[in-house]
Amino acid sequence: MIGLDTVPYGDSAVLVTATGGTAEERWRAVQRLADVIEADQVTGVRDLVATYDSLLVEFDCTRTTHDDVASTCRAASGRPVRSTTPPTTWRVPVVYGGEHGPDLPDVAVQLGLSPDSVVGLHVETPWVVRFTGSPVGAPMMDGSRLPGPISRCPSPRTRVPTGSVAVSGRQCVIYPVSSPGGWRLIGRTPAHLSPRPGDVVRFEPIDESRWHTGV
Amino acid sequence: MWSDSSPSTNPVGTPVFEVLAAGIACLTDLGRPGLSRKGIAVNGAADQFSATAANILVGNPESAPLVEITASALTVGFARAALVSVTGAPATVACDGQLHRTWEPICVPAGATLSISDVHNGLRRYLAVRGTLQVSRTHGSCAPDTLLGVGTWLRAGSRVPFDTDYVPFDHPIFRHPLFRLAVPVPRFGSPWTISVTDGPDLPRLRRLEESLFAAPYLVTPDSNHIGLRLRGPAPARTDSGEILSRGVPVGAIEVTPSGELLVLQRGRPVTAGYPVAAVATSVAQSALGQAGPGDVLRFRRRSLSDAVATCRARRHALDALTTRVCTVLTRVGIHPPTGS
Repeated sequence: MIGLDTVPYGDSAVLVTATGGTAEERWRAVQRLADVIEADQVTGVRDLVATYDSLLVEFDCTRTTHDDVASTCRAASGRPVRSTTPPTTWRVPVVYGGEHGPDLPDVAVQLGLSPDSVVGLHVETPWVVRFTGSPVGAPMMDGSRLPGPISRCPSPRTRVPTGSVAVSGRQCVIYPVSSPGGWRLIGRTPAHLSPRPGDVVRFEPIDESRWHTGV
Repeated sequence: MWSDSSPSTNPVGTPVFEVLAAGIACLTDLGRPGLSRKGIAVNGAADQFSATAANILVGNPESAPLVEITASALTVGFARAALVSVTGAPATVACDGQLHRTWEPICVPAGATLSISDVHNGLRRYLAVRGTLQVSRTHGSCAPDTLLGVGTWLRAGSRVPFDTDYVPFDHPIFRHPLFRLAVPVPRFGSPWTISVTDGPDLPRLRRLEESLFAAPYLVTPDSNHIGLRLRGPAPARTDSGEILSRGVPVGAIEVTPSGELLVLQRGRPVTAGYPVAAVATSVAQSALGQAGPGDVLRFRRRSLSDAVATCRARRHALDALTTRVCTVLTRVGIHPPTGS
């Protein structure tokens, strides 16, 4: 059974967190809740961010209240949404390590593995897209087969190149555009993709010489 | 009520303002809310209050495009008469050498040059022009977004066409009509007092009474529209566990692993995984949009109900201003404000 915790997040937002059940069930619950609230166009609600187990609901506090938004979420949580399209599997070529993945050695040290073993486990993982976030629809993925979590960079980089494949915690992301970022960069892809929540990404190692061939 | 003519079909009839000198200036508006699930940040005017007031003062919709001027002067030539306003942090505003008040409408005669100079006590000023600036929009907004690769930056020679219904009017004695619309202008200048409410990760942090809620924080030079990076005593974490990425609002004050405080601005990534100690109030976010490198921030802890009440009071003040502007502009024969 999935429960919902709601806490105020500043004067104009509520953070809804799914509790109980499995991680998969919590993720489904918050994604579905976001779909329902988006479709309902609730008065005063300005924006939504649904991730793994939480939904941030931003609103105009001159038009609604924390309590009203929280009860709207609780009331909406059981409601069904329109059927969704089946998930897609994306095959994504990656140049691992070197200048394209400068943090690969650090990640290997953190895990007590060789860089090649890290790449092997990263490629072996069927990464599931949990949501698309910043920057500009970056796919946030989990399902990691790496043996442990990866810490973030102590200070975020001011510029991460387009296509960088990065890991943090037990998550993985592809940067669709160049942006600041605090995750560990292990490789880079020349491919562009536009995945949706629920899609699967399979990474395939390629040699740096194939970077410009369009793969 | 606007003319349907576009600049390409009617270059003679469309008013244009021409930038004669600019530092950092762009066209913006109140941003692109509602796109967070696509990973697109809201962006838009850093100081939303000043931008909103600027548009209200000329009878525009609050979200109309206007000029945001950052830490620099701006000189603009108007071939045709225009009704404009300049808001934001203090500056000297002159029209053909004659000084004008900021935070009031200004009647610019045809052929006049408007200059905004001597900028101090804050990063940003806003120039609103009555009418509709003709701008290119992405997802409904002209606000710059470095990640989307959009934005219109003004430099000497830039020409911005606009549709307007403004008809010049005169004061019987003075050369320029004078207004006294009494906008509740906030205090500008460092040290900035930033009201905050408790963040969701307060239990994960210690020593807040000696750090965030007591000490002054210095805004460092690597601050930008994504976040202000602060130097000062860091709250201590009670755990070292990673937090699952989750949505994070503008104004959230994150504690990074290096012990730096990061105050998220309107261009922030929509998700984050650092603990959030506090959240700047909606009203305080406009002040944060004015704080620049070298400035000092002092955080003041407020209750949620107090923050909401302050936000609502500011909304009422803007609504009351809209009513006063409508009355004044109607008296001088200009149509009531549209769309707000």
